[in-house]
Amino acid sequence: MKKKEISPIDVLMLIPGVGFILLFIGSSIFLTFVQSFGLFSITGKSLFTLENWKAILQARESIDSLLFSLKMGVLSSIGTVVVAFPVALFFRKGGTGKGILGSIIKVPLFIPALVAAFLILNLISYHGLVNTFLMRLHLISEPFRMLNDKFGWGVVFIQIWKNLPFVLLIIMASLASIRDDTIDAARNLGAGYWSILFRIYIPLAMPGILVSMILMFIKAFGDFPICSVAGPIYPASMAQRMQIMATIYQEWDQAAVLGVMIIVTAFIVIWAYSRLAEFVKGVD
Amino acid sequence: MASTDSMAKKPLYLIQAQKMRNFYLLLMSFFMIILILWVGIPILMTVMWSLVDPKNPWSYPNLFPPSFSLAQWKYVFDYTNIGRALRTSYTLAPLSVLLSLVLSLPTSYVLGRKKIPGKKFFMLVVLLPIIMPGMVVALFLSRVFAALGFSQTFFGLVLAHTLMSMPYMIRVMTTSFQAIPQDVIDAAENLGATTFVKIRDIFLPMIRPGLLAGMIFAFTVSIEEFNLTFIIGTPTFETIPTILYSFMGYNFIRTNASVVALLMMTPNIIMLFIVERFLKSDYLAASLGKM
Repeated sequence: MKKKEISPIDVLMLIPGVGFILLFIGSSIFLTFVQSFGLFSITGKSLFTLENWKAILQARESIDSLLFSLKMGVLSSIGTVVVAFPVALFFRKGGTGKGILGSIIKVPLFIPALVAAFLILNLISYHGLVNTFLMRLHLISEPFRMLNDKFGWGVVFIQIWKNLPFVLLIIMASLASIRDDTIDAARNLGAGYWSILFRIYIPLAMPGILVSMILMFIKAFGDFPICSVAGPIYPASMAQRMQIMATIYQEWDQAAVLGVMIIVTAFIVIWAYSRLAEFVKGVD
Repeated sequence: MASTDSMAKKPLYLIQAQKMRNFYLLLMSFFMIILILWVGIPILMTVMWSLVDPKNPWSYPNLFPPSFSLAQWKYVFDYTNIGRALRTSYTLAPLSVLLSLVLSLPTSYVLGRKKIPGKKFFMLVVLLPIIMPGMVVALFLSRVFAALGFSQTFFGLVLAHTLMSMPYMIRVMTTSFQAIPQDVIDAAENLGATTFVKIRDIFLPMIRPGLLAGMIFAFTVSIEEFNLTFIIGTPTFETIPTILYSFMGYNFIRTNASVVALLMMTPNIIMLFIVERFLKSDYLAASLGKM
């Protein structure tokens, strides 16, 4: 077998792509970290200090925002996968009309997050379609508050609607790699629908499920536009709070602390995912 | 007996198969209706909101607006910056697609065809712009840009959009470079093909679907990019997403927002159907399905 070697030409060709990303993302991560400790500060003096961390960690709002963002991340990632999995199973086998259905369900993928938020907002607002409909049917006497509600169901619903096709694509790809022989064999040996679902489909699609949950969690955890449109008035999401901190209060160093908290959470989740993925697949 | 007679005419397994087929058809149509409602109703609502007649306002508890007019569309084009935002968005997107194509092509070639150490690491680095939470990158990239003198400039926006679209571009093209069988290249080399011939007759035709897919994903990423544009470009430059955000912020004007929302998503949906026709396999899933 050929030995793995990197030639100068390869390096030169990697620079425009990998180098470009490393330069800009790397420098912004670096700046976030050092600014959270008061270095490279733009408000004047640059001194190593833990004051910013103290200020953020002592504020009640920070803890509330962190918990709220975590909640949004977890609920959105679980919710999307729970909705997407049955749909993916349905699309596993081709059939009449599935081509066009597949296109229709992919529409939200190409609808920008803000537009998606707006589309769903028309449905679930206080006097929106859903409430009007339920009132007409006399199922409820008072409209539900689903938008800007304290819990954040509106945000979760928008995240699910917008990201369903994205997760669907990933899960469908991993379901497509399951061979029909495996399922026929299981059926021959007397497996019912449920045991096929829990012993074959879910375990074999697990890598895809995990990746999509991770990507969803990070998206929903660091979300700014959807939370600011449909989220509760208090607490703000982490990204919202960071943006307000930086652009309105001009407290860039404290915003950097929040930024570090978001980055670290994202990386902890990715690390946990890679461990889980090894556990599921076995180390290769 | 009558029942045995009918059974003799039609065996049980055929009846069962027929029942199964009917059940499947029922399930299928039920599912189809749910799907169409799931995607269709939100879009239909927006279309109706954009056509509300200002003389006959649509208010609770009417399920439909009492009359339709194009007044809202006229208003948005006459009195807001939407025209300029559309121009900015649609010049920004092709430029950033082009730049990210030029930057990604060599990198994807190396990642797709060469055996190099640390490939996994590079593939992960490439994903960083998607993995990193958008607002963090936006805020602190704006500091980097401010130091370099790029903030509030068009060039800075092009760079930012390029950065966000590159993960899709590189991942998708790496996958299509990987898919070229080595035999074909070896055979061509054996027959004396020069590098130019190899590029023209093997690489270009074989990566064309991936190239197209990557470009279309990059284009939609650029059209819908919000965080970076909002921080780096506002208030000098307005794109469609930032103008929509301004309609949904403190002064929420639902009718104006509907018009902008429709302007923003219609080209994207048309593009989706073009992609569907072009591509047999799902490039996005193939390239993002594993980290």
